[in-house]
Amino acid sequence: MRYGIGRLLGLAIALLLGIAAANPAHRATAQTVDDIIKKGKVVIGVNTTTPIFGLMGKDGQPEGYDPDVARLVGKYIGVPVEFVSVTGANRIPYLLSGQIDMVIALFGITPERALQVSFSIPYAVEAATLVGPASRQVKTIDDLKGLRVGVPRGAMQDLILTPIAQEKGINLMRFDDEATDLQALISGQTDLAGTGLLVNRTLNRNDPGKDYQVKLVLRELHFGIGVRRGATDLLQWLNTFIYTIKNDGELDAISRKWRELPLENLPVF
Amino acid sequence: MGYVFQFGTVWREFDHLLLGAWLTLRLSALAMVFGLAVGIAGAQAKASSSRLMRGAVQVYVEAIRNTPFLVQLLFIYLGLPSLGLRLTPDEAALLAMVVNLGAYATEIVRAGIEAVPKGQIEAGRSLGLKPWQIFRFIVLMPALRTVFPALGSQFILVMLASSVVSVISAEELTAITDTIVARNFRSFEFYFVITGIYLAMSLAFQTLFAGIDRALFARWADRA
Repeated sequence: MRYGIGRLLGLAIALLLGIAAANPAHRATAQTVDDIIKKGKVVIGVNTTTPIFGLMGKDGQPEGYDPDVARLVGKYIGVPVEFVSVTGANRIPYLLSGQIDMVIALFGITPERALQVSFSIPYAVEAATLVGPASRQVKTIDDLKGLRVGVPRGAMQDLILTPIAQEKGINLMRFDDEATDLQALISGQTDLAGTGLLVNRTLNRNDPGKDYQVKLVLRELHFGIGVRRGATDLLQWLNTFIYTIKNDGELDAISRKWRELPLENLPVF
Repeated sequence: MGYVFQFGTVWREFDHLLLGAWLTLRLSALAMVFGLAVGIAGAQAKASSSRLMRGAVQVYVEAIRNTPFLVQLLFIYLGLPSLGLRLTPDEAALLAMVVNLGAYATEIVRAGIEAVPKGQIEAGRSLGLKPWQIFRFIVLMPALRTVFPALGSQFILVMLASSVVSVISAEELTAITDTIVARNFRSFEFYFVITGIYLAMSLAFQTLFAGIDRALFARWADRA
């Protein structure tokens, strides 16, 4: 081997040092609001592949329910917002490794996730649903027998259907994100797609004629802002923030703008 | 850093990872066999006297070698249904890998065929061998022997490329791992271990190829 093990090792060490140097040590798990203010910006992970809650706008900036809530976070802390696109699969790793300060990305509140992160009180309500064309007759989970059901990997529909898929005879197909999941439905590769309550509107706009409807509501869920465990100061501020924007109508305005529905009564904990 | 490594979670799911490794091996092995067949056919077509045939193969090879595998895969799975061809995720993954490998194999085998000395072919003709005999014994076997290392590398690359088929919901090692990690969030532990599994599979294939090399081509002992 021409280059020898010494040079290879040296290159590896240089690479590791470079990576370490490029990542400043903002990994404090006990992150406070003051840390963010001192940093001068708040880095927020948002989903940019889901209609209504997070898409990439024509100007290259995220737009949707979640990005608008994120912009309010920046407004009330008093620092600019830096958006980072995250997916269902990488949002928790990004948060835990310190690459983002918080997750505002259709983050459904579950106890399993609460082992890794801390959730704020709910700022949005959604449901894990299965959507399909009007011609598809499905009323209960038993009607799913033999059907091809696409779901985003790790999403609520995946978590609910995977344990029962075999006994119910469901052909469950896991895609890397919701966008590919919906694309598979449109191209006829799946019979039903796991998504939210209101996405069928977007589907009917893009693929008219099939009259996509919500066929099954698997579970109602609420979205919370996710922060690292131990960041109690930041969590307290976020809960206060959400209470405020619920009270003064700003969150209702966001709900009407994106979901075309008034804000429902959200539980607190 | 505050992160606690939990490799125990990986060993608990190890039977799922082994299933994933098996699916990857099966998909890759099928792709290698069919991809090589496509490559040999393509190389023969490249040597044809028909300009249309040569041009068609050239278009195929250039299109595949200059576009990303992921795009080819998405086109086959999500795009072809618009033309009426609907494939299951596993079928689409295999087809994409065969089409991809076939293009690279065409070029590799063609180079091997061109390296066969013309005198050998003339000798075969003067001995009265039929064309298919000439192709099989005088052209193809020496050609494959010459390019076997290059083919082997390309096969391994295709096996590693199989890790992206999760995007169309085909199940293999990376897809299964993504699903597990989506539930328990142990990215570091799981991806570290499957990196090791891919490495092991790659080395296994290399050993297999070396064995095939010795078994099939040992007769041509003059190879360096």
